[in-house]
Amino acid sequence: MKFSVIIDAFPYLLGAAVTTIWVSLLGVLLGQVIGVAVCVARQSGGRAADMAGGVYVSFFRGVPLLIQLLLIYYMLPLIGIDVPPLVASIAALGLASGAYVSEIYRGALNAVPHGQSEAALALGFPGSSIWTRILLPQAFRISVPALVNELILLLKASSLISVVGVAELTRTSQTISASNYRPLEIYLAAGLIYLAINGALALFGTLVERRLQQA
Amino acid sequence: MTAVSQTVPLSRTSVQGDTVPMVSIRGVGKSFGTNEVLRDIDLTVNKSEVVCLIGPSGSGKSTLLRCINFLEVYDRGEIRIEGRLVGYSEDTPRRRLSNRDLRSLRRNVGMVFQQFNLWPHMTALENVAEALVQVRGMDKAAATSHARRMLDRVGLAAKADSYPARLSGGQQQRVAIARVIAMEPHLMLFDEPTSALDPELVGEVLQVMRDLAADGMTMVVVTHEMGFAANVADKVAFLDRGRIAAFGTPREVFHESTEPRVQQFLQTYHERNSF
Amino acid sequence: MLDLSLLVQYGPALLRGFGVTILCWGAGCLIGMVLGFALMLLRQLPVKPLRWVIRAYIEVIRGTPFLIQLFLLYSGGPSIGLRLEATTAGILGLGIYGSAYFAEIFRAGYQAVPKGQVEAALSLGMSYGSILRRVIVPAMLVSTIPAIVNMMAILTKETVVLSIITVPELMYEMQTMAAETFATFETILGMALFYWLLVEVVSRLGRRLEARVTRFLTHASPQGSSSETATARA
Repeated sequence: MKFSVIIDAFPYLLGAAVTTIWVSLLGVLLGQVIGVAVCVARQSGGRAADMAGGVYVSFFRGVPLLIQLLLIYYMLPLIGIDVPPLVASIAALGLASGAYVSEIYRGALNAVPHGQSEAALALGFPGSSIWTRILLPQAFRISVPALVNELILLLKASSLISVVGVAELTRTSQTISASNYRPLEIYLAAGLIYLAINGALALFGTLVERRLQQA
Repeated sequence: MTAVSQTVPLSRTSVQGDTVPMVSIRGVGKSFGTNEVLRDIDLTVNKSEVVCLIGPSGSGKSTLLRCINFLEVYDRGEIRIEGRLVGYSEDTPRRRLSNRDLRSLRRNVGMVFQQFNLWPHMTALENVAEALVQVRGMDKAAATSHARRMLDRVGLAAKADSYPARLSGGQQQRVAIARVIAMEPHLMLFDEPTSALDPELVGEVLQVMRDLAADGMTMVVVTHEMGFAANVADKVAFLDRGRIAAFGTPREVFHESTEPRVQQFLQTYHERNSF
Repeated sequence: MLDLSLLVQYGPALLRGFGVTILCWGAGCLIGMVLGFALMLLRQLPVKPLRWVIRAYIEVIRGTPFLIQLFLLYSGGPSIGLRLEATTAGILGLGIYGSAYFAEIFRAGYQAVPKGQVEAALSLGMSYGSILRRVIVPAMLVSTIPAIVNMMAILTKETVVLSIITVPELMYEMQTMAAETFATFETILGMALFYWLLVEVVSRLGRRLEARVTRFLTHASPQGSSSETATARA
């Protein structure tokens, strides 16, 4: 073990960690949008929408992320969309995350008493505002812990996008250790950085949760 | 199993006093933090005696009972079963017994719980046979046939292959009793054995307990069934706030006690159970 | 689309790869469960430092990507004299990764064992070993089996990550084939469908196992097994 190796590589690793963080954040954001859309569509879009949503959820939860990533990476050019690996990666993370998020919201919606939407209907609320004013705000609140957890999971999963050459934390660690032949130190350092980010996220999640409980 | 008359067999009184008591409790105290749940308890249970512990909830009855087989650790005083100190080493004061010694002590003391505590993944028969194999080292065939006889004794031979989830509360409790008597304990502890039962199921469990008493089993029973205490017990101990506030024969406690808390307790009991 | 002659040509390699996948998965699950169970038991001992170490182990494993753990083991290992073949490293990696999650699953199961069932066994004079084997573990199995099955499904998916450290499992063989035939997209699509099916099969078998294990609980109201929604993932 040579600590100087870690110190020398640290600035590069930190820079890569920033990429990891924002790729994950964008992935989670995209996942939120997709997840909420799928959830709403499945609940109120009729049987066909529910089935399509079900297939989407089942596929993206059942197929290993690495395969999803490669699938999207190789599929986009085939259908004439030429995007850099980074964009394909974010799309893959978002699609995968969306499947889980839609299930998180479904569970949270089930926790909102049915009588509430009935009360809103009885008052003459249009369907869309029942969603935006009654259901989603509560579902969001209920699902906050699960969503922070989702961010942590995605952050770890983002290490897989190293295989399509995105220079995030894992890929950068590979590159550095291939040049200085110090994989042990470099991967240890990378692991610690992942751990630190996830620790911070978990802490943040607890704080937000406590905040929401008070409100 | 035969119905049993209420008369006390001769053997039950004749043994008293001529041997070591079955249970001897001297100056026992216990605290949970600053809360003193048992204070300076003295109680003797002779062989073949039935002693009922009664009193308001939170008075320490169950805690005292659980101290007797050391499921609950007592802090002060001593408890002896057939002369053997419970839970602590004889030579070194306040040194806990090894698990092995504790086990050898417990195998002679059966306990019946309020919630039955049958093992849900075993049939009635397996529940009864389990400790015979694991503790008494019987082979499986012998344990099974012994267990079958025990189930027969509590009137449940027909339910041998049922899982607990398929049995009524009263049946579960009778299986739990069979599980204990299969071990041929010298002493049985009952922790509110009928409190979790629907009223119509209480009778069948009490009947089994009466039969055991008639057979000369030594029993310590925490109960809210005053009828059982009055008719079956040799001695009744009334506990209040961690102390024994009254002790004696059922007649002495129920009819002759001048202790105001006993009277108040019985008054409440009668009001609640009359309509 | 996929040429049938390709399947004939690459069939044996793919089949071998599938064998390696199943081997890694099976052995990884086994190591993970045994290690996880041991960790759970050790955590019950009243030794504070030991608890901290185990807690730290679990948090580290659960807080870092599986791929980084694999790289540490496979590429970092030789620096401290731990030279492992890719497949061995893969199995060990899966096992270590799984152990942290299994330890948490088992811990929850251990805590959920009704205290009275243990007290009944204690009062009959049963030894801790007997109680563990005959009372605690069966009760744990009932409450944890949905989570165990879920974790096993997750580990099925994680086996493809082993291809990155050149374990010759199905994904690796498939990538070789894709590279040699240039039928990349079709191959990956086929793989996706295959794993979709595989994970579904594992989950279904798991649910059947669950129903079997909890059979005796039918008509029990309070302790019925609740199949949690399988949103958890690693």
